[in-house]
Amino acid sequence: MLSSLQNPRQAAAQLMNFGLILSTAFMMWKGLSVISDSPSPIVVVLSGSMEPAFQRGDLLLLWNRNLVSETNVGEIVVYNVKGKDIPIVHRVVRKFGLGPDAKLLTKGDNNAADDTELYARGQDYLARQDIVGSVVGYIPFVGYVTIMLSEHPWMKTAMLGIMGLVVVLQRE
Amino acid sequence: MYSSVVRLQNTFGFFTTVAFVVAAIIAASDLLAPRTPSVGLLKTTNLQVVRGRPHYYSSKKEEYAIIKFSLDADLSSLFTWNTKQLFVYVTAEWPSVGGSGSGQNATNQAVIWDSIITSPSADHLANLGPIAMKKLKRSAAGKSIDPNRGKLSLKNQRPKYQISHPSGKVAEQEDVVLRLHYNVQPWVGILTWNQDADFWKWTTLRNNLSKKFKLPAIKKKVEKKAGASS
Amino acid sequence: MATSQEKITVYNLADLKNTSDDAIPNYLNSLGFRQSHHLTDVRLALGYSAFALAAACFAWDYQLGFDSTKYFTAAAVAAYTLLNGALTLWVVYAERGTVYVGTSPPSAGGERTVRISTSTTKGVPTYHLTVEVTGGKKNGGVEVLKVARAFTEWFDAAGHFVAAPFQAMLAGSVPVIGKADPKRAAAAKKESGGDDATPAYTPEMLDVLAQANVSVVGSAAEEATGAEAAGKKGGKRRKA
Repeated sequence: MLSSLQNPRQAAAQLMNFGLILSTAFMMWKGLSVISDSPSPIVVVLSGSMEPAFQRGDLLLLWNRNLVSETNVGEIVVYNVKGKDIPIVHRVVRKFGLGPDAKLLTKGDNNAADDTELYARGQDYLARQDIVGSVVGYIPFVGYVTIMLSEHPWMKTAMLGIMGLVVVLQRE
Repeated sequence: MYSSVVRLQNTFGFFTTVAFVVAAIIAASDLLAPRTPSVGLLKTTNLQVVRGRPHYYSSKKEEYAIIKFSLDADLSSLFTWNTKQLFVYVTAEWPSVGGSGSGQNATNQAVIWDSIITSPSADHLANLGPIAMKKLKRSAAGKSIDPNRGKLSLKNQRPKYQISHPSGKVAEQEDVVLRLHYNVQPWVGILTWNQDADFWKWTTLRNNLSKKFKLPAIKKKVEKKAGASS
Repeated sequence: MATSQEKITVYNLADLKNTSDDAIPNYLNSLGFRQSHHLTDVRLALGYSAFALAAACFAWDYQLGFDSTKYFTAAAVAAYTLLNGALTLWVVYAERGTVYVGTSPPSAGGERTVRISTSTTKGVPTYHLTVEVTGGKKNGGVEVLKVARAFTEWFDAAGHFVAAPFQAMLAGSVPVIGKADPKRAAAAKKESGGDDATPAYTPEMLDVLAQANVSVVGSAAEEATGAEAAGKKGGKRRKA
């Protein structure tokens, strides 16, 4: 309870517990990152361009190592385009060449045209290094919370506030 | 107030745990369903190479291959209660000069045709017009799994994508093969593709390669009639 | 003392335990025990170094991106896991639910180290205390006392913590504490007739004492020795 704040050690311990919850969540994320070799091993689908396979709010698990084979045609990859913030989830439909210099072309299953228009100016193909990871696992709908939070910023504030309060006020 | 928060927290925590356990069991159940996909026939029926522009405003001209093909395949065993959709695609593969031949590491690979086959449970998500949607839903009325949708029979199918190469040249390319692939999209769990080796109850997709063929020379003008056989 | 004025939910076992746990150091320190913070300090050091590592990892990841720092990140993840594991082991095997470690005052028959750990079983409103006394004269070993008492002995129906019976319970069951606070020990003996199973205070008495305590604002020492004397100011009535 609040009275515990009078004791500096207990206050420090309570603050530490709150900090450790945050840092453990962060380090688990980083652990997944390190294992999958991807800067963002879990992504939330933001657009409907891969429907009906993926809807908005679905959670995708990514893998970014080529242990058995190279990233091939037919795989669904998440890639970044220079100068654009939002990563895109689309399927590789063409691949020319081998190794890190292979030229990759992607397309959304639900789109009529390939992604040439989405790439940076003058860019016709992706390179392996543009890819953040290939989709290996799928959990529906769970990520919808993050879409709600990013579309309604007040919810983010409210949620953080409530979480902080609960953790600070509660022991164990 | 305080204890209501605690109870809410506990209820939510319990709900999450149960949901994740159920999801994990559903995902694991995929392994128990045998997969025995088979290919009866995959062959080209008509080959053509034309010159064209990548888009309307381009001044560059490239060569495009138009590969018509026939396909018979039975992928019905891939439809289970956890199948959301099956993505079936045919690639053309050819080696570069000095590169290796076909296979998972074919140097050039391009999808010429693909198809999304939804499970009846995912029909409502398909991107179709109202009439086609009605037809699709009626085709599996009352069924939540419809393995018949996995039986493919295509005759002299036009490719969905005309393929080219970054060099702009595909005419007279030798050692081209067609290959059939599939990708099972689950409702929850691991995405799977046709695997290279048998894996417990899942057999590999055999006979999914066409014979090697050579692309023809460029047609000077687009002719009306092309030969029906390759 | 805030603990005695604050009202807790009597159905919340964690609250009952935490409030009681908090009262132990206050009481013992007021008797002249010297509290040792060694266990807590090690826990804080482990926890805060883990947190600092995570913060550093966050900083370099944010500043320099993932690819250029991934080997450092991998090392940080491994080190964090080790630190967190050490913290867990420390809490489970070294602390074992310890709420107090302290040395008794020389006046109470020589210096002895008292270590008190507490626990509760889910759904059972019983306070389990394990008291380890080290440095006693006989065979120089560790003397272990186990006490289990109902929370109702020192919480009234409204959820007020009442210090007097709680302190009497401690003084009556642990000889070292009894020696440091003979008054409470005597009270405990008189009330219970030496029988641990019967509560020393009736519920009616607890209510009266709780009302008395509500208006007392004082130091732990005052409370430890003169809580019931404050009855003269206890005119304020509270709904029980």
